[in-house]
Amino acid sequence: MSHRVVSPMPESNGARLPRLTAVSSILVWSLFLAASVLLAWSVTRAEPVWQGPMLLIDGLTIVLWLAVSFFSGIVHVFSRRYMAGTRRIGLFFARLLAFTVCAAAFVAANHLLLMTLAWLGMGLIMAGLIGRVEGWRQAQAAKAFARRRFLLSAALLASGLALLGWLGGSWNVVEVLDWLASTDTPAALALVAVLLIAAAAIQCALIPMHTWLLSSMTAPTPASALMHAGFVNGGGILLTRFAPVFGAVEWSLTLLLVLGAVSAIAGKVLKSLQPEVKRQLGCSTIGQMGFMLMQAGLGFFSAAITHLILHGCYKAYLFLGVGERLHHHTPRAHREAPPITRFSSLIAGLALGVVGGWLFLVLTGKGLTGDTGLLLGLFVGLTVLHSTRDVLGNLSLPTAVRMLGVPLTFFPLIVIYALVFNGVRGVIGGLPGVDHPAALSPVHYIIGSVFVTGYAVIELGWHQNLAWLYVKLINLSQPAADTATVMKREYYAY
Amino acid sequence: MPISATAEAPASIEATSLDERVERAAECVAPAWPLHSFVTANPLAGFEAWHFEDAVREAGSLFAASGYPGPDVLRAAWQRGDIDDKLLRCVLDQAGYAKSPKALLGWLKRKASSAPPASRVNGAEKRVNERLVKWLTVFLDEGQAEWPMPGREKGFYAAWRSLAIYDRQIPGREHLAGMPLSASAAIEWLIGDQTDLAQYELLRDQFAALPGWVGRIKQRIESDDAWQRDAPISLIDYAAVRLTLLYVMDEPLQARHDSSNDESEADRVAAGFERAWEQTYRDRLVSAIRASSEESEANNDDSPDAQWVFCIDTRSEVIRRHLEATGRHETFGFAGFFGLPMQYELDSADAAEPACPPILNPAHHIRDQVADGCETVGGRARQWHRLFRSGWRLVNDLKHNVGAAFHFVESSGPLYGIAMAARTLVPRKLRALRRRFGAHFPEPNHYCAPDLDGATACEDESLPVGLTHQQKVQYAAGALSLMGWDQFAPVVVFVGHGSESENNPFASSLHCGACAGHRGGPNARVLAAICNEREVRTDLKAQGFAIPEQTVFLAGEHNTTTDEIELFTKGTDLENTDRLQGIRQDLVTAQHGAASERGRALGTLGSSQAVRETGRRAGDWSEPRPEWGLAGNAAFVIGPRWLTRQLNLSGRCFLHSYDWQKDPDGSLLETICNGPMVVTQWINNHYYFATVDNAVFGSGSKVTQNPVGNIGVVQGNGGDLMTGLPLQSVAAGDDDAFHQPLRLTVVIHSPLGRVLEVFDKNQQLAQLLSNEWISVVALDPQEELTPRDVRQHLQDAALAVG
Repeated sequence: MSHRVVSPMPESNGARLPRLTAVSSILVWSLFLAASVLLAWSVTRAEPVWQGPMLLIDGLTIVLWLAVSFFSGIVHVFSRRYMAGTRRIGLFFARLLAFTVCAAAFVAANHLLLMTLAWLGMGLIMAGLIGRVEGWRQAQAAKAFARRRFLLSAALLASGLALLGWLGGSWNVVEVLDWLASTDTPAALALVAVLLIAAAAIQCALIPMHTWLLSSMTAPTPASALMHAGFVNGGGILLTRFAPVFGAVEWSLTLLLVLGAVSAIAGKVLKSLQPEVKRQLGCSTIGQMGFMLMQAGLGFFSAAITHLILHGCYKAYLFLGVGERLHHHTPRAHREAPPITRFSSLIAGLALGVVGGWLFLVLTGKGLTGDTGLLLGLFVGLTVLHSTRDVLGNLSLPTAVRMLGVPLTFFPLIVIYALVFNGVRGVIGGLPGVDHPAALSPVHYIIGSVFVTGYAVIELGWHQNLAWLYVKLINLSQPAADTATVMKREYYAY
Repeated sequence: MPISATAEAPASIEATSLDERVERAAECVAPAWPLHSFVTANPLAGFEAWHFEDAVREAGSLFAASGYPGPDVLRAAWQRGDIDDKLLRCVLDQAGYAKSPKALLGWLKRKASSAPPASRVNGAEKRVNERLVKWLTVFLDEGQAEWPMPGREKGFYAAWRSLAIYDRQIPGREHLAGMPLSASAAIEWLIGDQTDLAQYELLRDQFAALPGWVGRIKQRIESDDAWQRDAPISLIDYAAVRLTLLYVMDEPLQARHDSSNDESEADRVAAGFERAWEQTYRDRLVSAIRASSEESEANNDDSPDAQWVFCIDTRSEVIRRHLEATGRHETFGFAGFFGLPMQYELDSADAAEPACPPILNPAHHIRDQVADGCETVGGRARQWHRLFRSGWRLVNDLKHNVGAAFHFVESSGPLYGIAMAARTLVPRKLRALRRRFGAHFPEPNHYCAPDLDGATACEDESLPVGLTHQQKVQYAAGALSLMGWDQFAPVVVFVGHGSESENNPFASSLHCGACAGHRGGPNARVLAAICNEREVRTDLKAQGFAIPEQTVFLAGEHNTTTDEIELFTKGTDLENTDRLQGIRQDLVTAQHGAASERGRALGTLGSSQAVRETGRRAGDWSEPRPEWGLAGNAAFVIGPRWLTRQLNLSGRCFLHSYDWQKDPDGSLLETICNGPMVVTQWINNHYYFATVDNAVFGSGSKVTQNPVGNIGVVQGNGGDLMTGLPLQSVAAGDDDAFHQPLRLTVVIHSPLGRVLEVFDKNQQLAQLLSNEWISVVALDPQEELTPRDVRQHLQDAALAVG
């Protein structure tokens, strides 16, 4: 039986994609493949794979190529469907590709000028992605704000590297670092360290330079994923590359540690106030970047690199899946954690926490000599402690799950982390100055106890009624002026 | 001729109480439901007492919104022939435009580009919004933030006041300490000296300045849910905070008086095109129905093997047509909540969800219980759901924890990386894997039966749990009579519907609107269970429904993304029978047909690919358009199936079964018009406005959306709450409109007199019709289906009386 058709809908051409979208995806995945091959090859030799006047392809380069091409490749494939039908989609993919090229050049740069230009390029392209929607005033304001920050960080980097090159008498990264290893530390090196840390702090959106990141949500979701998994890592990579500089200027590591710790704690607390999911993710990135720089400040640059790769997986996933974050809660179902005072679960948690921390230290070889690695073990212990309390307190679960759930899930995860960490360290370990943990000092004890106290305070909820603090933190986490679309009429999708 | 009930409102505002004035001033903003229960309501619901064109003009100036399709959309429709050229010229001529359509379109285009709507934003309102939005966002949060705003239990004004004194972003905050403690005292103190009319206008501007959040507040007040009880907010609270901000920031406390809206000329031209477009569609639909129904009626006497009841949803039209084509299947259209005003508590859910349209209040609470014979699979599935939920809860807990989050990210990072790669690179395979896994741990639909008698214990005691015998009979008889049922086939299937999509904040907008934005499976299960009860059958027989002994009622669910129909047969007599096998085969055939037809609108070609491709869309987290939902909706046909059986209505029509001969007093028609027809008008207006101005009446592009507070989305870095459908639900691309914004045409197969009577009796319906929110055509069966314009006849009758 044939039906007579009445007023059909116009047929869609399925939002045809320009060829560039495919070309750039293929290029990015080719980089991924090439990096995989290089990785296999590089583990068999101690020397860098390639060292020229412009490029340096060593373990660090290859690991980061893998990471950046993986994130970019995923974002490419995701965007081919997600961004279908949006205006100027070709330009969007061109920017993704250009960003990937700049990031790849940055991690492979052996020339200080190339490194600076790649850094500047990443910033300008990211600013372009933040302001992708041209007719939307708030997006343009956010773009302008971010661009000012990125220009500042590029200027700081340029002056830091210029000074370093001038001191060392070379524009070549390897030669400068060789020079550094063979000479007494000049006083001006402290200035280099400060300039590099300042540039990294902006890129990593450390407090108080975090506002550009919290104003960047006018970028399309996949671009944000790339920003949080790729762009913000620039700071950590920069510091790792120049680790000997910080090794030579002892107090600069403590500065990094304190800066990182402040952002780690503040980022997490700021996150806990946010009803907006993307802003939560932004605050979380501030905290995680703070933690990453803390690891660097403790002398574990290879742990910092591991962290930024794993955090990239985590944060990119959460950005791409941001549409899943709407649930129907009732106020009562909004559960309260079992009280920290419940003795049995606290004891069990502490016991498992110590085991977990010990496992971590043994497997990663950190802190065994009583150095700053112990502090990293503390964070593992807190994670296991908290999970144990949660699972033991969850009476809806079968007894077997409550008793064995944490050891059976978290200990294998710690093992997996240790594998990744040891792998990364194995590949980049030859770099000068990337692993030199300091002996524990009072600063480390203070920071350790601040985190433990913070954990306890938040579990007990003591902070929740401090009105002035709440207002201060809310205002600290607001986006920059005129980057929020407070009048619907000013929203414009194109 | 406009009926301007509200246009005269300012006059009647004199000598009202403050409460009333605030209430009236807020009427311009429509309530906004939370996204987990999306309701496609009319964003101009507060203007329905106005003529459509006046409402659009008024709302246009209040919200700086456009109310008609843009020149590009109109031009495309005209060039495609969807606007009949002769008719268009005639309509334009009558409106006094002598120029050609082409010239007028060019003029519209120039006009649109010369005055961007964003230029109409008021500075003072924006400055207040900048300071207010962050407080509304944290106050109205429903469990997204770990650290909620302190003091919410005091109410919005009081909570805000005790925090705002610390807020350095408010200039003049030192004056806050002197403000009255209660919200109404504050309003009285600030503007008590103004006339009632001036107060009303000032207040109205305050509500219109932030329509998203105000809409949310209105719906929260109406629902009076647990959140509202824990953290109460009133319209007075909102108004008091706003006026206080105006005061301390030294902004004028008076209504803005915009220069008169010079868009009206362009609006009149666009309205002409729009009317011609609607008229074209209406003429073609009506003449097609008339032409095809004659032959159809003649061969309508075979007795079917199975009867199917689908929701009136436009997507049902497609699958019904393809199902009918496979064999002796008779299909009916009925509101997808199957007439059951209830809230349903699924076995896997934390809370009961409303399962009836928002125009009704749930009267019963019905819960799942594990069906007889499903104890093993049910127990397994329950345990799995519990484990899964606990796991997610732990993950969330760890993510937020100051001490635990850092290492958690490191140890779970590899898993997130793998999951991200799998979901992005092989979404279809992942879905297949999930389905295979799901066979062992099924959804409650497959192992539960509704606890009709309320035998299980229930914590929530606000509603009676279960149904009495009388209620069961009443709901069954109500449903069967409304559909005009003649004879019963051996198998009768009630089919609810729901959509399947991933990573989609608007998932509930694709579910069943009649079930308050939820899946319709549970409603189908309840009605089938009622009709299978022996005692109910006996009483139904007494009321004249001759249901044969061997007839079995089944429930099913139509997956509107893939067009797959699942049948819930566990524990019924039909399980594992040949008859069921045959039915399942027909369903697969129908799925292929429907999926390939609907796939064409999504750009998929070829039927072999279509089912594959819809599966991909259903499981792909990067897919912003899993399906088109109700886009394209344009008409509502009330009548027997033979009227439209020969037609391919392209998924643009709501279909409700109705037999005028079984409705001598018109009461069934009245029920349909007051219920389903009003709901279809809401849906139609929602799609219309979200299409013509997606920034003000929709929620913009998904690409830059940011979920907020478990209730909705904002754009980019936050701001006003975005309400309504996203751009991707109504457009194929930024420059490629998809939904055709036409006001609803209602076609009723019934004698004209009876239709007139219904509209005469129900003033609200008459208002919708005479104010041109809808058009109604009666096809009078006693006059060879001569089409009658009911609006015209109603006006003539009114004149005659007058």
